[in-house]
Amino acid sequence: MISLTTAAPAVGAAFVASLVEVVEAFTIVLAAGTLRGWRGAVAGTAAGLAALALIVVALGPLLDQVPLHLLQLVIGVLLLLFGMGWLRKAVLRAAGIIALHDENVAFAAETASLSDTTTPRRNGFDWLGGVMAFKAVLLEGLEVVFIVIAVGAGRGLLVPASLGALAACIVVLAIGAVVHRPLARVPENTLKFAVGVILCAFGVFWTGEGLGIPWPGGDLMILFFGAAFLFVGLGAAAVIRTPSGVIAQ
Amino acid sequence: MNILREVASGLLKMFVGDAWLTLGVLSVVSLTGLLTGSGAVRPLLGGAILFFGCIAVLLASVAFHGRRHRDR
Repeated sequence: MISLTTAAPAVGAAFVASLVEVVEAFTIVLAAGTLRGWRGAVAGTAAGLAALALIVVALGPLLDQVPLHLLQLVIGVLLLLFGMGWLRKAVLRAAGIIALHDENVAFAAETASLSDTTTPRRNGFDWLGGVMAFKAVLLEGLEVVFIVIAVGAGRGLLVPASLGALAACIVVLAIGAVVHRPLARVPENTLKFAVGVILCAFGVFWTGEGLGIPWPGGDLMILFFGAAFLFVGLGAAAVIRTPSGVIAQ
Repeated sequence: MNILREVASGLLKMFVGDAWLTLGVLSVVSLTGLLTGSGAVRPLLGGAILFFGCIAVLLASVAFHGRRHRDR
């Protein structure tokens, strides 16, 4: 039986991380659908989801064949690489060193790139919109799959973590269906900051477990690592913050 | 093929967005593994090396980009 205290961090991490990825995929699908017609965009999205399902079905059973310590080490290192990259970028964005990600700007860029090509076929099937939606769903979806595996596999929490990711998809789709425009008011850098902190904390913990390090306090050390990464990240952002808000593009 | 290449490139960028950060993390993990695996340090000290090493790599990467931005 999985307890709430064991599952909550994995579900929460999968939910928040997936929220960021799904919002990005949604922006591109929305641009493709609005400009090139919805048949292609929906077909591309469905094909992307099918490709993701195939990858999960094909690779999922292999996880059971890998010894637990090796699995924890590999996933821990990948989590560290992924999480530190996110946290570094979030710190630099919070400090004003690099520009914040703006879904309205991303939507405008995708729309412009689609407008530059051939005339959209609004009533027929548009391959360009379909391919664009397919790539967005597959690429952002792969990140979601990795995060779900990373936060869930080491403790047998794949199902709860998947539910967290699924909840994020439902939330974004429900809000997106109502507002029908890019979800620009999602505090994306704050979420990325939080996810970076969580992934780094899980990464250190599982890399250590994989290397045979007996963490004092067991799973509670994840909270300590998370607090430490949060403190260091916020401190670093405050120290290097640009005074005039000059941002490099 | 173009889509496959873009997907592969996207996957690579997930983990190797910044080469120096990647190199730093892998060095810290390798050092921890070597020291604890050979018995040169106690496992708990290895854990401290791993944790503080990762913090140091993060700070160094952020400071490097911050300084480069200021020097422009």
